[in-house]
Amino acid sequence: MKGSVFFRKRVVRAILYIGLTALALYTLMPLLFLLLNSFKGQAEIIRNPLAPPQNFTLEYLIRAYQEIHFPKALGYTVLITLFSLAFIVLFSSLCGWAITRHKSRASTVIYLVFVAAMLIPFQAVMYPLMNLMDRVGLKNIPGLIVMYTGFGLSLSIFLYSGFFKSVPRAIEEAGFIDGANIFQTFFLLVFPLVKSTTVTVLILNGMWIWNDYLLPYLTLGTSESRTLVLELFYAKMTAGQFGNPWELIFPAVLISVLPMVIVFLCLQKYFVKGVSEGAIKS
Amino acid sequence: MERYYKKWFYLLVLPAVLLFVFVIGLPFVIGTIYSFTSWRGTYFAGGTLSESFVGLENYIQAFSDEQFIHSMIYTTAYTLVAVVAINIVALSFALMLGRIKRGVGLYRTVFFLPNMLGGLAMGFIWQFIFQVVYTDLLFSPDGLFHVEFLRFMTQDTTKALFALVIMTVWQSAGYMMLIYISGLNSIPGELYEAAEIDGAGPIRKFFTVTLPLLMPSITIVLFLTLANSFKLLDQNIALTNGDFNTRLMALQILRTIQDKTPPNYGVAQAQAVVFFVIVAVISLFQVSLTRRKEVEY
Repeated sequence: MKGSVFFRKRVVRAILYIGLTALALYTLMPLLFLLLNSFKGQAEIIRNPLAPPQNFTLEYLIRAYQEIHFPKALGYTVLITLFSLAFIVLFSSLCGWAITRHKSRASTVIYLVFVAAMLIPFQAVMYPLMNLMDRVGLKNIPGLIVMYTGFGLSLSIFLYSGFFKSVPRAIEEAGFIDGANIFQTFFLLVFPLVKSTTVTVLILNGMWIWNDYLLPYLTLGTSESRTLVLELFYAKMTAGQFGNPWELIFPAVLISVLPMVIVFLCLQKYFVKGVSEGAIKS
Repeated sequence: MERYYKKWFYLLVLPAVLLFVFVIGLPFVIGTIYSFTSWRGTYFAGGTLSESFVGLENYIQAFSDEQFIHSMIYTTAYTLVAVVAINIVALSFALMLGRIKRGVGLYRTVFFLPNMLGGLAMGFIWQFIFQVVYTDLLFSPDGLFHVEFLRFMTQDTTKALFALVIMTVWQSAGYMMLIYISGLNSIPGELYEAAEIDGAGPIRKFFTVTLPLLMPSITIVLFLTLANSFKLLDQNIALTNGDFNTRLMALQILRTIQDKTPPNYGVAQAQAVVFFVIVAVISLFQVSLTRRKEVEY
């Protein structure tokens, strides 16, 4: 009897591993296609999409690299993402701290407005927003940073103020008594305590800012300075008039997603934590 | 202390509030007002703003526009299928990973990975998969299995909806899985032991212990998948670009201004307001509904 239970458990576990491995392979399949077909010409891709390349050549990768202006586009994307994230963290942590520490009608209203704003889809504001940005001369990269910061605030303030509630005031009081000013108190004493929320805020905002298509499309359009996603979009759209140029798209997608894959694999522990904690807190 | 916080309060919240007003608050108010005018993007068809109020004209036009109505139905259908599919797959992933010990981290990483890669970039790859791999290799008459439904999926209104579902399940199930995993981990083990002592089998345990205690996670995942599905854009552009009547609402709002010359921003803005109302109502309704089902222990 005991033996059969033990046996059943092992069978169940074996089935689980087989199932999970099959699902993992299915999940990786598109990425495998991507890798295999980035080194092939158009005819070979269509004829034999699942086979490894007949002759290994970097020709297509190099062409795609030039076509999407990789170094420049990567630079813009990194610039936009980093600056936006820095501002989001700075402004939302300060705001979240202030509204949890000072209880008044104003702070309640601010909090509720930020939370309610999470329900507003981007489409509801995009046309007037573009109009406004155009008028103040911000339909450009600095403007994108301003907009991403604005859109990132709601969720981040929500996350920060949730966490600040659990941080005891005693530390801050000690700081004030020792003569620290408000910024010293915040940055030296309080901010280090909410590191885990900062990670969540960075990950959740970073993922969508890096991969966002619509906002750069509306803001930068066909201008010279484009993000990676936008370069990819135009590479497909302009060449796509004559059928899909897979020999360009595959390597272009490969090099444009590579930086994110590397970042993810290096920091995956934080990604997993960031996503799970972000969900629990909301 | 209180006085100290109070003194600095406005300075600390100022940058966030200003940015918010500039980027979301003001455009939202302006947009809502403009949806009642003959706005054309850079000017008003009637002269000045105050001369251009057209009442509900834009809304009437939006609701009598077949394409817009179709996009609403299409988005609703897609959302229903996608939310169910993503939830089932994500929960299955989480439950399976909960029962093994070795390799959990590796599987988790693999399932989450597609989420990191942009919807547009991966949409192009999936377009290839649907157009070449599915159509010519796997499911063609002389392929692995002949399944006509899985061929030419990006060239048919109904099939494209399922193509979108296949792709978005692939992309977001791993993300939702993480939320379910942390939900499952927070269920105390004693409850399972107690249920076992009472003679509950695995299925009974799932429905009487796991599912009720997972309600908070289900609320969050439903909220996220509902909102994401309703607002889906990148994958829609990458897979079909809205051809063959496959525009979701987000894409329809974007294309309304390209469909007619001169572009009618007033109507597009009215559609955007309708879109906002739908998203807000569904989200609030769903949250209050599932919150009521949550249990405490």
